[in-house]
Amino acid sequence: MGAVTDDEVIRKRLLIDGDGAGDDRRINVLLKSFTKWCNSPGTPEEGFTQYQRMLGILAQCESSMGKTLMVYDMNLREMENYEKIYTNIEQNITSAHDKIAECKKEIQRAKRIRKNRQEYDALAKVIQQHPDRHETLKQLEALDKELMQLSHIKENVDAKLELRKKQFHVLLSTIQELQQTLENDEKSDNDDSQESPFLSVLFCKFSFGSTVFSKQHFKPSILHYVVL
Amino acid sequence: VEAAVGHGSKLDVCVLQLLHMSVFSQSFSPCGRYLAAGNNYGEIALFSLSAALSPDATVQSQKPVLTFTAHEGPVFTLISSDCHLLSAGNGEISAWSWTELIKKVTVSLNTQQPGKQHDLIIPEINAMIINPRDNSLVVGGGDNNVHILDLEHGVFKSVLQGHSDYIHCVSVREREADILSGSEDGAVRIWDSRMDQSVHCIEVYKYESCARPQYGKWISCVTTDSDWMLCGGGPSLSLWHLRSLSPTSIFPLTGCQRQAAFHQDMILAVGDGPFVSHCLLGGEVKAQIPCTPQSLNTLQLNTNSTEHRVLTAGGSSDHIEVFTNLSYRAFSLSF
Repeated sequence: MGAVTDDEVIRKRLLIDGDGAGDDRRINVLLKSFTKWCNSPGTPEEGFTQYQRMLGILAQCESSMGKTLMVYDMNLREMENYEKIYTNIEQNITSAHDKIAECKKEIQRAKRIRKNRQEYDALAKVIQQHPDRHETLKQLEALDKELMQLSHIKENVDAKLELRKKQFHVLLSTIQELQQTLENDEKSDNDDSQESPFLSVLFCKFSFGSTVFSKQHFKPSILHYVVL
Repeated sequence: VEAAVGHGSKLDVCVLQLLHMSVFSQSFSPCGRYLAAGNNYGEIALFSLSAALSPDATVQSQKPVLTFTAHEGPVFTLISSDCHLLSAGNGEISAWSWTELIKKVTVSLNTQQPGKQHDLIIPEINAMIINPRDNSLVVGGGDNNVHILDLEHGVFKSVLQGHSDYIHCVSVREREADILSGSEDGAVRIWDSRMDQSVHCIEVYKYESCARPQYGKWISCVTTDSDWMLCGGGPSLSLWHLRSLSPTSIFPLTGCQRQAAFHQDMILAVGDGPFVSHCLLGGEVKAQIPCTPQSLNTLQLNTNSTEHRVLTAGGSSDHIEVFTNLSYRAFSLSF
């Protein structure tokens, strides 16, 4: 039963759809009608109508073919267009990549520059806190001059002190010698004769004078005594 | 019931642990794809940056790929050399191979202890940095001295003595072969690494513009850019010109800064307060980017990789903040 139905189905399908679909079917039908027309024994009018009908179908086939060809051309051109756009976009992408890399390098450079500027500013702040170099140099020069002046004065005072010391030393040594001489004289005198009170007074005065002295007083008075 | 109670208390312990966790140190791998972070329980966690930063990252990718216990005490400092991760905590320095860690093998290669081996008290190590000039490791810790370890031979070359209190932080000046150390005694000392002598000693708290007596005189962060130095802690964070040893800018940040870094034309600083401060060299604070932890201990920039250029900050929380764009927090990695 199933097999019979299958056969029926197949026969029906072949009958209905045997020619294919659309254009293919039209061509098949045309071919079949052409062979029928060639072999038909009908009247010339029928033949003519059949012939006209066939021409119509042929024209339909031709127009459909023309349409398909145009669509094919159009597709080809679309493809080209798309190819062009595709390469264009690719180029744009690579150039954008390059630009990005450039910009990144720029950023790195700018950051380095900024860092250097900030370091410079930080150091400049510290340097500003210290006084100006010219000022300091001037102060140093003034101080140097003052120092030299003061050392001059010191030298002078030292020289004066030395001189006075030497003079005074001379004076003292003279007094000592005189004292010695007087002592010796006194001793020799005492051995010979009695003591002279005047000389003993002189001796006391000399011994007193040599311990407590002031150079201004003694200079003329000692000479005075010696003369005596 | 017992099983339920047992499970509950274990969960509570885990949650409590996470609550009290602090991240003390971070370091990026030489390839730039992994971040190692050390916490106060002695654990080091390895996070995969490529997984966390990929477009299809999930919550799982923000968890560590590997967590292991490296030390008994907290891991105070982590640093990466070309192929090793060095960690230090309470007195010993351990070396781990990065390739092994990435393969999840956690065997310590070498363990060193600075100072004399037979000391009873082993001081903690607070800071380490690698001196690229002579491939040595500069270590500063609780015994007031800076130790220098030769990385090629694994022996301690020299000891720099001069500080009178423990050392918080060390830094290396690339161009001049100098080592800088900041200590609890308030002094930043500059050492010549060739002569092993202290060249300068800057007592920051003695400068009126920087000093903040209410916080103390300790220096907790020192970092240098060869000509310039940033230091802060008790005194305010300040920028110093090293040639003239004078402070040029003081940054008006409240709280004590624990780590600072130079980045392009800015200065990044973290410390007390739940934010990362961006400052300009002139002394003004440009921005303060908020973060989740209440205070931050460590800040690191990933300079080892171009596609994972992130800034990470960790502090008194089990979260590590990740910044892909410096202006805002992108996401957090968690232990």
